[in-house]
Amino acid sequence: MDIIEISHLTKNYGRSRGIADLNLKVAEGDIFGFIGPNGAGKSTAIRILLNLIFPTSGSASIFGLDAVRDSKKIRGRLGYVPSDANMYDRMTVMEFLRFGAAFYGAENETARIHYLLEVFDLDPGRKIPELSMGNKKKVSIVQAMVHKPALLILDEPTSGLDPLIQSRFFDLLREENRSGTTVFFSSHTLSEVQAFCKTVGIVREGSMVKVEEIASLRKKQLKKVRILFPEEHRLASLEIDGAGPVESGEGRNLVFFYSGDLNQLISKLSGYRVENLSIEEPPLEEIFLHYYQ
Amino acid sequence: MNKVLFYMEMRRNARGLLIWSAVISVLIFLTMSFFRSVLQYQEQIAGMVQMVPAVAMKMRGFSNINDIFTVTGFYTANNLVYMMLMGSIFSIVLSSNILLKEEYGKTAEYLMSRPLTRGEIFTTKACLAFLNIFILNFLASLTGLIAILIYKKGAFSIHPFLVISLYTLLLNLLFGALGLLISVMMKRAKPVTAFGVALVMVLYFVYTISRMTGIDGTFGYLSPFKWVNVNVLSPGYGLEPGRLFSFLGITGLLILASGFIYRRKDILT
Repeated sequence: MDIIEISHLTKNYGRSRGIADLNLKVAEGDIFGFIGPNGAGKSTAIRILLNLIFPTSGSASIFGLDAVRDSKKIRGRLGYVPSDANMYDRMTVMEFLRFGAAFYGAENETARIHYLLEVFDLDPGRKIPELSMGNKKKVSIVQAMVHKPALLILDEPTSGLDPLIQSRFFDLLREENRSGTTVFFSSHTLSEVQAFCKTVGIVREGSMVKVEEIASLRKKQLKKVRILFPEEHRLASLEIDGAGPVESGEGRNLVFFYSGDLNQLISKLSGYRVENLSIEEPPLEEIFLHYYQ
Repeated sequence: MNKVLFYMEMRRNARGLLIWSAVISVLIFLTMSFFRSVLQYQEQIAGMVQMVPAVAMKMRGFSNINDIFTVTGFYTANNLVYMMLMGSIFSIVLSSNILLKEEYGKTAEYLMSRPLTRGEIFTTKACLAFLNIFILNFLASLTGLIAILIYKKGAFSIHPFLVISLYTLLLNLLFGALGLLISVMMKRAKPVTAFGVALVMVLYFVYTISRMTGIDGTFGYLSPFKWVNVNVLSPGYGLEPGRLFSFLGITGLLILASGFIYRRKDILT
């Protein structure tokens, strides 16, 4: 079953573009990385899912319910961590968490609140305005998880968190995911998506470029090939099937991505004099950049 | 309406309500405490007031100099400034910010991720604003009544007092509804306090100008201040259905329009 389904979703802000004909499905139990550079439309899509803004056209549903018409029912089962951790002043951390939980009838989830506070090393008695940005972010994460939501929507959740807390946070998310929570994780930090997510959707200029499982991306055997020839060559003249995109296509040193049978590549190169050859697995960053070229 | 949000908002606005209520009540009480002195120096004051242009007197709310020598007339003349003007400023500032502060305070994303409909958010916040306006009016009127009972000399009829208090409440509620409409019509998330205060002052100015002698005051009905009948000492003074329905009708329309717009508004943070 798909927990999130976005179909031909478009949002225009006057003259500027928000998202354009975005399509996306997130399966139940997935940890979905929603990745793209700043301004790609990630936050716009999330805001439509939360009914903060209305789509210009297209539709979005969560749990099979319409994101506009059934927003209350949807919100009752989701937790959301916004990119900016803004919260009400004049409350202590505990007051804020109990206030947030009360909307779900979960204000008495004391054990759960204390467990989460311990994970994030938070003082429940501290006043909200006294918290650093990092600690505010932690509180924002805790408030989204107190009521044990079926879906967690996280918009750049790790910004401001130190590496130790980030690690605890990911462990906690995995734990929640094992107990049935679907995670929708928006980020522009590729390494954390690589380390944490099961599936990734790459958004560019408001549209979905590619949705793929992380494991499958790796299985595609996209390799980075560097060949040093004693004389100059052009990659095009070598007629290597599966070559591209190309970093250096002319000269003695050719650098390009290759997806295909390595035996065929080696067989092709056997007809040429080669000074050096390296074939390596590129970091995920480079695989993603491939989709942006 | 959502109880959790309502109680939080009540706590959040309690300090402001307390300060405004205290300031207005103290001003009303202090002013009323001068009433006996006014009576004591009635002749001298009347003589001095003779020199004040009639226009200025009308602008201040006195239609007849002798009005201020009755406790109800004296109270009403001062009430015009304290409750009608200051109360309206309180009402428009409170209601214009009660929804909008979630946007410029960047807490809208948090609030709108809770299981609430937009209708519930609007209704809860509007009810809270109107309750605050009611409490302010109740406390100020109660202070006025106590002050009247302490400082009055001679007969005092409570009927005109209740009527002017009700008119004042209706005026403040109308400005509360106007504040809601302003806030939902704002495209950009920023405070509208200065705009709200300026709007009340402009409408008050329109009203005072319309009261000047020699000017056709019909245009004054553009201002809701003009809809209040302040002639408390005129015979048969009471709630007039036309004025009552104008207040209730316009207030109701403003609330409905605000709710309609809010349900369809993009919340930009």
